Amino acid sequence: MGVSREYLIQRTLLLFAVVLGVVIIVFIITRIIPAHPELLWAGPHATLKQIEEARKELMLDKPIYVQLYYYLINFFKGNWGVSWRTHRPVFDDIINYLPATLELVTVAFIIAIVVGIPLGVLAAIKRGSWIDAVIRVLSVTGASVPVFWLAMIAQLIFSSKLGWLPGFKRVDEIVVLETGFRKITGFILLDSLIERNWAVFIDALKHIILPSLVLSVYPMGLSARMTRALMIEVLNEQHFRASIAWGIPKRTALFKYALKNVIAPVIASLGLSFGYTLVGAYLVELIFNWPGLGYYTAMALLSYDYPAIIGSITFVAIFYTVINMIVDIIHAAIDPRVKL
Amino acid sequence: MMVSSEVKLMMKLLIKNKVSFAGFIIVLTFIFVGILAPFITPYPADARGWVFHMNQRLLPPSWKHPFGTDEFGRDMLSRVILGSRYSLIISVSVIGLALLIGVPIGLVAGYLGGKVGSALMRIADMFLAFPPLLLAVAMAATLGRGLRNVIISLAISWWPWYTRLMYVQTNSIKTMPYIDAAKVLGLRTPTILFKHILPNAITPVMVQAALDMGSAILEAAGLSFLGVGVKPPTPEWGLLVTEGWASINRAWWISLFPGLAILITVLGFNLMADGLREITDPRLRRLLISRGGRI
Repeated sequence: MGVSREYLIQRTLLLFAVVLGVVIIVFIITRIIPAHPELLWAGPHATLKQIEEARKELMLDKPIYVQLYYYLINFFKGNWGVSWRTHRPVFDDIINYLPATLELVTVAFIIAIVVGIPLGVLAAIKRGSWIDAVIRVLSVTGASVPVFWLAMIAQLIFSSKLGWLPGFKRVDEIVVLETGFRKITGFILLDSLIERNWAVFIDALKHIILPSLVLSVYPMGLSARMTRALMIEVLNEQHFRASIAWGIPKRTALFKYALKNVIAPVIASLGLSFGYTLVGAYLVELIFNWPGLGYYTAMALLSYDYPAIIGSITFVAIFYTVINMIVDIIHAAIDPRVKL
Repeated sequence: MMVSSEVKLMMKLLIKNKVSFAGFIIVLTFIFVGILAPFITPYPADARGWVFHMNQRLLPPSWKHPFGTDEFGRDMLSRVILGSRYSLIISVSVIGLALLIGVPIGLVAGYLGGKVGSALMRIADMFLAFPPLLLAVAMAATLGRGLRNVIISLAISWWPWYTRLMYVQTNSIKTMPYIDAAKVLGLRTPTILFKHILPNAITPVMVQAALDMGSAILEAAGLSFLGVGVKPPTPEWGLLVTEGWASINRAWWISLFPGLAILITVLGFNLMADGLREITDPRLRRLLISRGGRI
């Protein structure tokens, strides 16, 4: 459909420019702003010798453009320094922790779409009624609630007090050991499905419910709001009125014709909210001991593990940029009105 | 004048929309409490936090301590009330600083256009390439904890939004006949920029900025939770929630009330914004005006 080859090439070039910009901004923050970057890099418990090594590694005695040159070279080689908390290369750590975050965010988005869009349709149909007002306030609440606080409260009520759902980690280690479950992709839900290991699958599902529900609160509100606004627009449009006048039942007209015009832009806008949800995952993972990228970064922050902090933030920024580009391209492909 | 009639229309529509009006009232209350905070806390020493009451640790909510007491026996109500002042200081300073950086850049970029303009905008875009909060986390981790560093970190990640808005506004205004007239009259470029374009372009930016204050409160709380926010014992709401986390199973009230304070305040800003966004959307606004402002 509507995506030309020039557009793809142009977008890819732009992507490289933005990634380069992101890396340079990180360089400025980590090397130019602090008075003694080597102290940050070596950590709070570093010996004099380690600090000296950090100085050499960062080449702080060389001019700034030489530093930047080697910084970029190392960056694109995947040589992002060593976390002194885990004693492993930061890049490897990030790749290890990534699947847990992606699994959590994916489930949260599925919940957001499955619950949010029907709520938005309902609000649009009942526009001006109390149902509309309640849905509106709820969806705005989703954007206003401090997600880490909501996670604490949800964990306290549903896990600690009522004991309905597990409140920590992705899966029960005992179940994993008993059933001989092995990780393939790192996505536990997917892996257990592939292996037909139902015990692990159900256990993992139970573990993901609370954190993903908490995390879905923002994108759910957003999709409900977007659906409502777009639905109202469609309901007022000529083609919809015409189809009603033509005698097509209202239910068919709504779900077959109106909703079709709404779903693509709603999902595109959800794609743009990906950044917020990812950052939400950062905060939620720490509460639920969910071993993802957010947990990794948060632990790094709490122990001043500077290479790990900066590495994971850079990674997420680039990841986010790539996702945004993909969303843009998909949006352009399905919606011819998007100007290239 | 164009500006004031816009604002008047907005206020009129805001008041007619019940949900947004409720948000407006919440925001007014927040600002009021934030300004008066030091004078209305029941236990001012507890609020500031440099005290320790061994005999009243972790007391549940009661008439004496409606929000209970914390690990150090401090009255949570006092701490939450004083916390509103920190939230107010943080949000006003972050947005103010972001406006101070962002607006002039957007104005110059929009007016000059061409290569300089697009270069400036590309730089702004690179800051926007970071997911929200993360750039601020990187900055705060570099600068260290503290109120001032929180404000700087958040403002650094915030200004490009206003640059973008200002750029779009300036672009549409600079082609207007009165700007050409000003040029023909031989006015200096800074005069045209700051006396003729800025006043006519700033309204939407200011509206957006006022509504963004809620998000600033939320992000400052996030920084506190990640351990790169204000220093204890500053009673910032996010830090209060975080401090209660360790003992949440024994004393739920320590985290609950400051979290509710964040939720209600940010909700106030966002409900106001939600109403205004419908109103600032011209298609919906026309519809509203034609129906007498009812939603």
